[in-house]
Amino acid sequence: MRECRIVSKRFDTPNSHTLKVAKELGAYSAIDIAFGMTPVEIIEIIKESGLRGKGGGGAPAGAKWELMPQDQKRPSYLVVNCDESEPGTFKDRQIISKDPHLLIEGIIITCYAIRAKDAYIYVRGEYYQFQKILQDAIDEAYEAGILGSGVDITIHRGAGAYICGEKSALLESLEGKRGHPRLKPKQKEPEWYFGNPTLVNNVETIASVPYIIEHGASGYREFGTPKSPGTLLFAMSGHVERAGVYEAEFGTPMMEYIDHYGGGILGGKKLKAVIPGGASTAILTADEVKLATLDYEHMRSIGSALGTGGMIVMDEDTDMVEALKNLLEFYHHESCGQCTPCREGTGWSDTILDRVLSGRGSSKDIDKLLDLANIMDGKTICVFAPAVAIVIRSFIGKFRSEFEAKVAK
Amino acid sequence: MKSVDVTIDGQIYVAKEGTLLIDLLIKHDLKVPYFCYHEALGADGNCRMCMVEIEGQKRPQIACDTLIKEGMNIHTKGEMIDSVHLDVLELELINHPVDCPVCDQAGECKLQDYYMEYGLHDSYISKDEKVKHQKHIDLGSNVILDQERCVLCARCTRFTSDITKTHELGIIGRGDHARVSTMPNRKLSNPYAMNVIDLCPVGAMTSRDFRFKQRVWFLTSTPSICQGCARGCSIYIDHNRPKNQDEKIYRFRPRRCDDVNGHFICDVGRLSYKGLQEGRLRVAYLKEQESDIDRAIESYREIVDSSKGSTILLLADANLYLEELERIVEYAQSIGASVATPIKSYIDEEFGDEWLRSSMRASNAKAIEKLGITTELPKGDISLLISFNHPDADRIRADRVISLQTHLDIVDRYDVTLPLATYVESSGTLINIDGIEQYSPKVITPNDPIPTVVEWIDRVEGGAI
Repeated sequence: MRECRIVSKRFDTPNSHTLKVAKELGAYSAIDIAFGMTPVEIIEIIKESGLRGKGGGGAPAGAKWELMPQDQKRPSYLVVNCDESEPGTFKDRQIISKDPHLLIEGIIITCYAIRAKDAYIYVRGEYYQFQKILQDAIDEAYEAGILGSGVDITIHRGAGAYICGEKSALLESLEGKRGHPRLKPKQKEPEWYFGNPTLVNNVETIASVPYIIEHGASGYREFGTPKSPGTLLFAMSGHVERAGVYEAEFGTPMMEYIDHYGGGILGGKKLKAVIPGGASTAILTADEVKLATLDYEHMRSIGSALGTGGMIVMDEDTDMVEALKNLLEFYHHESCGQCTPCREGTGWSDTILDRVLSGRGSSKDIDKLLDLANIMDGKTICVFAPAVAIVIRSFIGKFRSEFEAKVAK
Repeated sequence: MKSVDVTIDGQIYVAKEGTLLIDLLIKHDLKVPYFCYHEALGADGNCRMCMVEIEGQKRPQIACDTLIKEGMNIHTKGEMIDSVHLDVLELELINHPVDCPVCDQAGECKLQDYYMEYGLHDSYISKDEKVKHQKHIDLGSNVILDQERCVLCARCTRFTSDITKTHELGIIGRGDHARVSTMPNRKLSNPYAMNVIDLCPVGAMTSRDFRFKQRVWFLTSTPSICQGCARGCSIYIDHNRPKNQDEKIYRFRPRRCDDVNGHFICDVGRLSYKGLQEGRLRVAYLKEQESDIDRAIESYREIVDSSKGSTILLLADANLYLEELERIVEYAQSIGASVATPIKSYIDEEFGDEWLRSSMRASNAKAIEKLGITTELPKGDISLLISFNHPDADRIRADRVISLQTHLDIVDRYDVTLPLATYVESSGTLINIDGIEQYSPKVITPNDPIPTVVEWIDRVEGGAI
């Protein structure tokens, strides 16, 4: 496997979060290059690089940047999404705690490209200690004059709602309102923060920008596949020997990644299944994992998604009904409650699985769960409920016998 | 905006491009279920009930967030969309207590209506598995909240945040634990608070004043005009005649009128129905003595006859209908009297606001202006004062006083006191503060009808009783 360190290049150096160490290792060298270009040129490079949003959706970043008006009739904003709450995902916190200056550098370049003077970093409320490291780094950057003269960065701490990772709910929350996703616009347009055009990007997306500026679009495209260029901070948790975050290029075979970085399945047991990209992606069986490669196109072709790249590995002893219950409890707890199918559907499916696990279930319950998945799919404002539908369908679809066994007792 | 053709269930309709599909469906009375959409509050898109099928779109779309485009082909019925309506409704009901027999909303509840129309399914969840919330919470301003019946359409919270901008209500909690609540340590307290009861499509918000008084299917709704102030808001008066009793009004509800009050009315106006029934004068008085009507009319005529040639002043209430005021003016001429409507007692600066409430509390002050009736008291002594329900009757010095009045208040001071019908027992024209003329029909007929101004004048003039 090829080593590729685009955003994690300074992770292993002690005190890499301090300005001194980061600078010695080349931080902020991309800024001068960026300032030698016009904003539109930067956006062109980002488009050419094929950089894709790394928060889970994988939408082309350049296309999003391009929607930002360059006319400066109204102030533009950059909002960095660090509300990392997807179960199995813990990559952004590595960036803000191990190399916050990389993020700051990315923010400065991005702000220049979209002509924004203010950036907000929306940090998950539970990330208290990581947020402190990031704040210290921002303070250092202000003292050194890196920030303050052109770009201001403000950290906003979330209050613990998963849904605030959805960009429009995040903006509502940032505006001081209840974190509810907004109705989707009718045409392509930027996001809006207090009625002003706003770009919302994931931490890792922004942290990838300095590398692209320094090495050019072709430098970035040396990694990954033609359609999924570059790298991702993939993460592993669950039944592996060495759980953690390891950067790898798109297109890496999943099994190879798990064996190489994760050291194989915990205790030498057999692999049963992997949830590939954070909880909200369709689960893959061991057979599917053996053929899977880590890129958006392949994962989609096998009916799942790359998501955030946070893999949850399960060994042969895992009870799939219990595993699904664990996830449904999470969704039940985190549904924002705005639209009916999600508000009631997540709770109800959790209740049904509770029936099944407590021995009061019938095979009717399993079908009802699948019904509910259909009801929740495609009828809500955001993609929370459709994700739950995917999870339910994939678990029951691929491990139905385990569910049947629970209701047969 | 240009007009375009759209097809709905095979029929072609003309609509303005870029307007909301749900408005078109509502306008043409095409059945589409919805909880959260409201014409005054706009689209929120949270209930997901108003789904329609649009050809060319993979998924069903909510009509409240669909803009009309040329050539759209829309289906509001069909196998797919029917099952969507049923599915979403089933979810709305999953944690609902289904306590219709004791719910005051029964009969005007969207959940009930839609269940009969789209649901008719069996319940899948047991009572013990339902999410429990608080019941009968006194929110203030006569609004009682039952959180378990709530469908979280957020109409009430949007009303307090977008319309009154008083922000008392919000939704707290997430998922199926989300519920409507007042902000900590606050009560629902704004002059328009009770509108949330009408806005609530289900039994979550009920009126402390109305609940448990009458089942709505026993009520008759008659359109009328509120006379709480000079705004002249359009209302429905809900009334009936309980067995062996007199006709009774139970509540006022706002009636949509885009020119005057939009969709809402104020709480003072809403509760003003009580004054139409309480403390009413139903018999005649001669001084402090109760009298039969014939004797009272006789005395009335004697007093008027003996006062002819001296100063007679007719006091006209500024709440009377235009037709009644015209009759008073005509009557004054026939007996050589003058007419005045002192206006100061009708003005309540504290009542007025920038929305509906007018500091002019008399409903027909503009008609006084139109008829050229003076609003000042004439100088000099008055030998006979005849008051047609004017609030100043007992404050004006006169040798003799005849008072026609709707309420008991003071009777013993006057030489003759005659009972008068209220505006719901009469009909006529009102001119509101902005000069808009509205007709207000007769709403109720009591078992023993009390004469109106016109009827009284006809009687005292006509001879025959």
